[in-house]
Amino acid sequence: MVEANQPFRLQARAIRKSFGGVEVLHGVDLDATGGSVLALLGENGAGKSTLVRILAGDHAPDSGEIVVNGEAHGALDPIAARALGVRMIFQELSDAPALTVAENISLGRWPGRRGLIRWRKVRERAERALSELGVDIDPDAPVETLRIGERQAVEIARAISDNARCLILDEPTAALSAQEVERLFDAVRRLRERGTALIYITHRLDEVVQIANRVQVLRDGSVVRESEVEGATRADLVTAMVGRAVGEVKRPEAAQVDEAAEPILAFRSATSPGAFEDVELTVRPGEVVALYGKLGSGTAEVAESVFGLRTLSRGECRLKGQPHAPRAPHRAIATGVGFVPADRQRHGTFMVRSVAENLALPSWGRLSRHGLLRGATEARAYKRWHDELSIRSRNDPEQLMATLSGGNQQKVVLGRWLERESDVLVLVEPTRGVDVGARMEIYREIRKLARNGMGVLVATSDYEEVVQLADRAAVMARGRIMGDLDGEEITTERLSALAGG
Amino acid sequence: MSDPVLTTGTVAAPSAPPPPGAVPTARRRQVPEVAALVVVLLVLGIFFSITSPYFLNYDNFVNIVTAAAVTGIIAAPATMLLIAGQFDLSVGSAAAFCGAVLASLALHNDMAFAVPVAILAGVGIGILNGFLVTVIGINALITTLGTLAVFRGLTQVLTDGQTLGVEHFSGLGTARPLFNIPLPVYIFAGVALAFWFLSRYTVFGRSMYAIGANPAAARLNGIRSKRIIFIGFVLSGLCVAIGGLILASQLGAASPQAANGLELSVVTAVILGGASLAGGRGAISGTMLGLLIIGTLNNGLVLLNVSSFWQTVAQGSLLIFAVAFDQLRIRLTSN
Repeated sequence: MVEANQPFRLQARAIRKSFGGVEVLHGVDLDATGGSVLALLGENGAGKSTLVRILAGDHAPDSGEIVVNGEAHGALDPIAARALGVRMIFQELSDAPALTVAENISLGRWPGRRGLIRWRKVRERAERALSELGVDIDPDAPVETLRIGERQAVEIARAISDNARCLILDEPTAALSAQEVERLFDAVRRLRERGTALIYITHRLDEVVQIANRVQVLRDGSVVRESEVEGATRADLVTAMVGRAVGEVKRPEAAQVDEAAEPILAFRSATSPGAFEDVELTVRPGEVVALYGKLGSGTAEVAESVFGLRTLSRGECRLKGQPHAPRAPHRAIATGVGFVPADRQRHGTFMVRSVAENLALPSWGRLSRHGLLRGATEARAYKRWHDELSIRSRNDPEQLMATLSGGNQQKVVLGRWLERESDVLVLVEPTRGVDVGARMEIYREIRKLARNGMGVLVATSDYEEVVQLADRAAVMARGRIMGDLDGEEITTERLSALAGG
Repeated sequence: MSDPVLTTGTVAAPSAPPPPGAVPTARRRQVPEVAALVVVLLVLGIFFSITSPYFLNYDNFVNIVTAAAVTGIIAAPATMLLIAGQFDLSVGSAAAFCGAVLASLALHNDMAFAVPVAILAGVGIGILNGFLVTVIGINALITTLGTLAVFRGLTQVLTDGQTLGVEHFSGLGTARPLFNIPLPVYIFAGVALAFWFLSRYTVFGRSMYAIGANPAAARLNGIRSKRIIFIGFVLSGLCVAIGGLILASQLGAASPQAANGLELSVVTAVILGGASLAGGRGAISGTMLGLLIIGTLNNGLVLLNVSSFWQTVAQGSLLIFAVAFDQLRIRLTSN
């Protein structure tokens, strides 16, 4: 145990790590102290995850050391890290969904004697941990009945009831609603008061300002900035992350939209119970319309309804003037709708298949003759869009999708709907998990799609994305449209104000 | 609908793309895989050529292929099903059932009536499996484990537990139309070719790969997964019926124990041939090599006078080896 008057301290010194001959960390230092929140910033691939996994004992460093309260270790394994009080909360929840909250909190370290569990103790332990976090969750509820934010809280409770002195949170707000984020921040502040050292991985700058004391920026496996949060401007941090000065978010060039043109997609008091209500929205050919709202506000659900993943109970949706109520994605595709889901890896791509197949798949109906399909036809389609979308790959149609970077995978997914000659493209969180650099290219490609006459609807929770991408925007909160913004009215301030802080 | 909701509760995309060059291309990886199978086959062939004087000759090679024919006819659709992430374990008992249907009808009817009905029985089993998997939505492994038991039992009911003789039906299984090679081998070759073509050059076959590679993405790209998987099970049922009839013809009888454990040989051949349990990968050509390996091993062990009990041990071990190899491959390529 550590003396109460001496804060817990976890340090990394000159950590180096290579994977497959490529060095991803070039001698990185880190210093986390009890009672303080250290924000770890960086683009995807900067080495944040590798660094914290080394601290949590998931990877062994090639050289360098980990110092816990002055005691140096060459490497930790997960059990040793845990014994020292270092715990990591992963993005993917690692709970046992069918067990209760209390059971999850004591999972793997049951109180009891001679193999018999003392259930009263299990419950007490859970109540204590949950009240320390300041969350109100029923210890007897099965975890699978909880919301994502609550499940995350249970995982944190599990760590603190196991005497965690240093907690590593890996992009914990990625899947949370605005309210849940507030609750998480409350819990983080309580832990900080309690003397826990927190390492908080994120790429959202506003979160850094809200809860961190210190900030460390990683770029390409090196620390490029380490400072107090106070006094650091947003521009400083972005420049440090990206490695070049990035101007303030810029508006795109206004689209040439025929004001009199019939909308290609139109919602009239569209309602889907539990998701959204009385949505009025139009998209004309040639424009990009953003549907902005925090996670859980209903934007993604509206997008899904266009693609046959959700039905309207009231109101209607019209596509090219015709009533549009597809029962399944294949019907929506047949009527000219393309869809880019939020979770590219799980719902968008076929990692073990070739890039050409990934691009051509929805167009198989057109590319085939009497159900027969030739590889050469797919390869030709791929080559065309490879150049058009400047996809960075080996330009080999047989290359596996998994070998492309996230941004380039996303371009293949966009190319898919170009090849399909869709009239309307619906995208959900199109740049989630994509580097800042690749993000700009994807915006450019999306703008280009619209210029070629497509109607584009983007559901997003990233207001900078709206400013950089959209001709018009509708802002949603709690399933309702709170306001419409047109052209230069679209600013980050107005978007935040309408979405409710 | 039981489809996963796409937006609520999804977790952010994974942190880092794999470093370039970490995963070899499709083309580069397939070469060593097939090569490994060929090497295993050659090693077995050389070993048995040295240890047994009866192994290395034309007639024995025909024996090996003939013994593999029925398994192969059924393994071809099974390969496509596994590529789409589906299993059909009911093949053995379904084949026996088709044989029993044929035998019991042939007692009082014309063959011209009994044969089509027996084939329809196989197709019917395929429809039942497909319905349970796609419409009711039960896991294919469990569904077909259930139908495996159901149709083995029904076979015994139909035959009253006795072996029924089938007369005037030996042609299908034993005729040797060309090069002294039995007809089932030609049927096998035809089925294998058809499925090879289907899997490589048709939208149907390619959809199987997409479904196996990522079921959610397949649906979001307009593939009608349920319909395709349903057809896959029906094709499996059709091929099982053909296999069942060949077995009955070869034996001149329908035994309630016919094709017992056939599912083991089929699954072993398919997985040994490189179809991945993770789905989205595999090829008919690989399965054919897998079949030859199993066939050579069985044949060689017989020639060496190894008891048939040990052959079962060898085949089970081969399946475990194949699955372990597949797991290793998944681990190597997902990193």
